[in-house]
Amino acid sequence: MSDSPTPQNDEHKHKAPGAAANYLMLSAGSIFTSMLVAGFLVGYFLDSLFDTRPILMLACGLLGFIGGIQKVIRITQRLDHYDPKSGKDV
Amino acid sequence: MSAEKMGTVEYIQHHLTNNTIGEGFWTFNMDTIIVSFLLGALIVFVAARLGKQLDTGTPGGFQNFVESILDFVATNVRDAFPGHNPLIAPLALTIFVWVWLMNFMDLIPVDLLPWLFQLITGDSHAYLKVVPTTDLNTTLAMAFTVFALILYYNIKIKGVVGFIKMFLFHPFGKFFIPVNVVMTLIEEVSKPLSLALRLFGNMFAGELVFLLIALIGGTLAVGAAALFWAPLQVLLDFGWLIFHLLVITLQAFIFMVLTIVYLGMAHDEGH
Repeated sequence: MSDSPTPQNDEHKHKAPGAAANYLMLSAGSIFTSMLVAGFLVGYFLDSLFDTRPILMLACGLLGFIGGIQKVIRITQRLDHYDPKSGKDV
Repeated sequence: MSAEKMGTVEYIQHHLTNNTIGEGFWTFNMDTIIVSFLLGALIVFVAARLGKQLDTGTPGGFQNFVESILDFVATNVRDAFPGHNPLIAPLALTIFVWVWLMNFMDLIPVDLLPWLFQLITGDSHAYLKVVPTTDLNTTLAMAFTVFALILYYNIKIKGVVGFIKMFLFHPFGKFFIPVNVVMTLIEEVSKPLSLALRLFGNMFAGELVFLLIALIGGTLAVGAAALFWAPLQVLLDFGWLIFHLLVITLQAFIFMVLTIVYLGMAHDEGH
C-alpha cells in the first residue's frame, strides 16, 4: 500500500516516527470509505471508456473494498508494535 | 432568516444553500469564494503587518503567539517529512491557518451573518453560507491541489519510469499487473477523496448541530416556554461551541499533517 507507514514496509519509520502514522490511524475510517468510493469512481470511468457498464464498476468497487480493509489493517497494525512505556515502536 | 419565521426543514435548507451565480457546471458559490478569499487576505494582511513590526529583543504577545504556531508547524514537518523541501513548511502553515480560519466561521452564530446580509441586500430570502469548508467544492479544491503536488513530486523524485513502476508492481507483485494498476489507481484517487470528505463531513455535521440547537430557541421558545428553552439553547450552544473548537482545530491539523505525510511519501524514492 502506498500510504501506510507500517512496520513491514516502511523504511522511513524512524525518520517519520509515531505522530504522522497516528494521524493516519485517526482517519482510518475515512480512508476506508474513500477507497470504496474511489473504487466505484475508477470503475465508472473505466466502464465509460470500454462501454462495459456496470461490470468494471462493480469489480473496482470490490477491489476498493478489499483495498480499504487491507489499508485499515496495515495502518492499525502499528498499534501492535507500539510500546506505551517507552513511547516507541518495538 | 431566523427560525421562528419559517419551518424547521425550510430553515435548515435555507442555511445550507449557497448564494450562487451561473448555472449547471459553471455555478459559482459566491459566498464560499468571497469568504475564503477574505480569510486568505486576512492571513496575508496580518502576516505582512507583523513582518514589518518584528521585534527580536522583547517580542509582543501576538508575535509570540504567531511564533508558537510557526514552531508547532515546523516541528510537525520535521517529524513527518523525510528529507528537505523548502515548499512543505510554508504550504503546511498556509493550510493549517487557512483551514482553521475557514472552520472558525462555524463558531459565529448561525443567524448573525445571514441576517446582516439580508439586511444589507434588502432581500429577506437571500442565501448566505459563511463556512467555506461546509462546501464540498472548497475541500475538494484544496485536496486536488495537494493531489497535484503529490503527482508532481512523485514524478520529479521517482522519475516517470519509477512512477509507472509504482503502478505496475504494487501491491501484489509482478504477476498481477492489471490488478495492481487498478488498485494503485484506486489508492491514489482515494487520497484526495479522504482528505476532502473528512474535512467536509466534520464541518457539515458541526454546522448542522448548531442549526438544530438554534431551532430550539426558534421553534420552541414561544411565550413562557422561552424561560426554559432559551437558557437550554444557550447552554447547549456553549457546550457544542467548546467541543467544536477542538474539532475545527483537529480537522485543520489533520488536513495539514496528512498533506505532509502524503508529500513525504511522494518524496520517498524507495517506496
